[in-house]
Amino acid sequence: MRGVALTRRAPLWLGGLAWLAVVGMGLASLAALLSRATLADAAALWRDPYLMGVVRFTLTQATLSTLASVALALPVAIALARRPRFPGRRALLRAMELSLVVPTLIALFGLVAVHGRQGWAAPLWRALTGEPAGYLYGLSGIVLAHVFYNLPLTARLLLQALERQPEPNWRLAAQLGLTRRALWRALEWPVIRRVLPRLAALVFTLCFTSFAIVMTLGGGPRATTLEVALYQALKFEGDLAQAALLALVQLIICLSLWALALRHGDATQLIAGSGRRMPLGRWWRRDAQGLSRYLDAAWLAGLALLLLPPLAAVVVAGLGGVPELLSRGSSLWPAMALSLVMASVAGIGALLVALMLLVGSAWLQRRERGGTAALMEGGGQLILVIPALVLGTGLFLLLRPSLGGGWQGYALVVLVNACMALPFAMQVLRGTLFDVPVAQRRLADQLGIHGVARWRWLVWPRLRRPLGLALAYAMTLSLGDFSVIALFGSPSRPTLPMLLYQQLGGYRWQGAAATALVLLVVVVAVFSLLERVSRRLPRYRQSLYWPGGAESHA
Amino acid sequence: MHRQAIAGALALAALLGSAAAQAEDTLTVYTYDAFVSEWGPGPVVKQAFEAQCDCRVRFVALDGGVGILQRLRLEGEGSAADVVLGLDMNLMASARQSGLLAPHGVDLAPLSLPVEWSDDTFVPFDWAPFAFVYDTQALDDPPTSFEALIDAPDDLKIIIQDPRTSTPGLGLLLWIKHAYGERADGIWQGLQPHILTVTRDWSEAYFSLFMNGEAPMVLSYATSPAYHMAVEDTDRYQALEFDEGHYLQVEVAARTRHGEHPELAREFLDFMLGSEFQNTLPLTNVMYPAVDLGEALPDVFSKLIDPEVYTFPPQQVHRHRREWIDEWLRASTR
Repeated sequence: MRGVALTRRAPLWLGGLAWLAVVGMGLASLAALLSRATLADAAALWRDPYLMGVVRFTLTQATLSTLASVALALPVAIALARRPRFPGRRALLRAMELSLVVPTLIALFGLVAVHGRQGWAAPLWRALTGEPAGYLYGLSGIVLAHVFYNLPLTARLLLQALERQPEPNWRLAAQLGLTRRALWRALEWPVIRRVLPRLAALVFTLCFTSFAIVMTLGGGPRATTLEVALYQALKFEGDLAQAALLALVQLIICLSLWALALRHGDATQLIAGSGRRMPLGRWWRRDAQGLSRYLDAAWLAGLALLLLPPLAAVVVAGLGGVPELLSRGSSLWPAMALSLVMASVAGIGALLVALMLLVGSAWLQRRERGGTAALMEGGGQLILVIPALVLGTGLFLLLRPSLGGGWQGYALVVLVNACMALPFAMQVLRGTLFDVPVAQRRLADQLGIHGVARWRWLVWPRLRRPLGLALAYAMTLSLGDFSVIALFGSPSRPTLPMLLYQQLGGYRWQGAAATALVLLVVVVAVFSLLERVSRRLPRYRQSLYWPGGAESHA
Repeated sequence: MHRQAIAGALALAALLGSAAAQAEDTLTVYTYDAFVSEWGPGPVVKQAFEAQCDCRVRFVALDGGVGILQRLRLEGEGSAADVVLGLDMNLMASARQSGLLAPHGVDLAPLSLPVEWSDDTFVPFDWAPFAFVYDTQALDDPPTSFEALIDAPDDLKIIIQDPRTSTPGLGLLLWIKHAYGERADGIWQGLQPHILTVTRDWSEAYFSLFMNGEAPMVLSYATSPAYHMAVEDTDRYQALEFDEGHYLQVEVAARTRHGEHPELAREFLDFMLGSEFQNTLPLTNVMYPAVDLGEALPDVFSKLIDPEVYTFPPQQVHRHRREWIDEWLRASTR
């Protein structure tokens, strides 16, 4: 019997272990820096008017960016859920996945090519307003760039939540002929309400810690975020204490927000879905006909207009450099291989830790210990609010005596990348893990199906698709990462983003644009491949019940 | 647990990879990433030095001169670096203060710099004046001084970099300070309407914005047009010679006090001023070499502007940088 008890508690142990590792690492690296600060430093910091201005601006731009991203993502997600089938839907989803992982410099290039003073949209803007297009510089530009980054992510995750709505609910709604407003109240809002606070917190944190975009598009030092001040302190002044204090300010602000989000995004009333998606076909949704068709078309066209032109600009710029890259670019293939290996390890690492945390939190939740459960889940988000620069430097200080060779540098980069991808993996996975319907769960309990078998037959079939998406996000995030690897340096063998920056440093614009294009292609390939792999049907065929129901529409 | 597995696998790979190199001494050089890239001077330099020293050269690529110094300071006496290559004059004072660098012991006679050089710790290896590069197709009548730029119509925009995060950005700050002293504040205020944006670093300014045609002028180096002329075969982008003279950027190297191979490091610094090393610099690093190359200097360098140049003593920059940056912040946010 002891064996069974141990197995039953295993989720808690797993979760606890992961929590300790992640939180311990985050706090230890912060502490390594903080240990060099004094109380006097903290007091001086608080009275610094420059810094207060920086905090105010950081909050303003992050709030505006979050509001814009989330408010626009809602109708987009609903439109996408309502239109499970239209030409180009799959391509649009791919593009949505891309935007988050495009390296900042590339996104900036694309945004400038489209929205800049000489951009593709400039003549249109001039025709409409009679003014030259200056909206890319200043607060409007920052918000635009942040919406470009975060709206697709938000909409993508909202869509995933909407699609997990139990199928019988939709059948009932169709039978009752629910109107738009009733559908929203009965089906859509309850799911959205559950994920929205966390999503908004995630987006807010991303915007809050945004750095290069804010500086480049902000127009001047008026647009300074805490990250800029932190970078300045850590790199230019070599002032570790100041950097740690700034990181602490950032941590406190973002953590209080997360506490709020975790309280309101109540995870206790998880509706157990069947795991089947809503059947295809317009007759299931009365609200999908009539005027809403034009409305949805407008939202989706808007999304496409936001996303595709900047990406297209990158592709166009890159195509010109491909011949040069292929003929001369002996660094390209090794760089791609290195990037892929590092991203795979970081992605799988992030996934494992995310699962451990979620399993632990679910275990706690089932035992009505919601507070502890939220705390366990929150641990995964902690890394998001500790700047990578601080995490990296702190770890570096902690490990210093034993840190020598190049491979340790790579391992450290992978570790930090995995931590950075963790919040995204958790965002995709949370919920899906515990969606096993009550009836099935009871049946499994009665039959004594526990441990591996329970995973294999109950959880795994439900988990594989989100798992694929989570891995794709985690992998591509570290694929596109430059900040961390630049911090630790590398013995002359570059990753793809490093190669790109090297090319830029050497005036190789064409080659750099081509490398960016290759990076985009790799990201698309990773998403497509993982989607394909995770789509394979589980052994029992859903199509026996619902003709066409097992067909993918993602 | 998986972390240990990764670490183990990577360790194994590293062992296998470096087994061949164990036999000889390895000189570790900390430098910046553009230096070691396939197109940078790194590969040529490595090959040439290895041919003469009976050793291996290992480059560690870091995030700019600032990244090199930060890494060195974090590692302290335990640093693996024998040589640091790619600091600039403005980092010299803090680097010296760290106490981690040793006198170079190199004969500086071959040096041919526009300023006197007698430092006993740092050996310069290339230089260029900061300058505004402009697009000749977008600007017919470019300004030739800061004051002319201030007087130009407001729709003449420039792209600059932030002195808090970028080397050229700090260069511009020092340039204006040196040229105008107490009046620098007023110059910065006058420039405000012309500044399209202030980017984090040079790549964003030059690549994302200037090459996209966002503004006709960008803060860069007087040598930048050499690349466009020699490699891209176009005269379209040229540097502007300003009446106030130009601030100088000098890139330097030094050897570390606690490195394992001090002799080899000294030999490397010596080699750095030799023709093999210096010949690669003009078109890979797109900077002037630190010695007189004579005929070997690419022709395009004779088409560049040849302004009067100056610098502050590194110690003075070190003392006042924070105060001058704050001054700039106030002038720019007023």
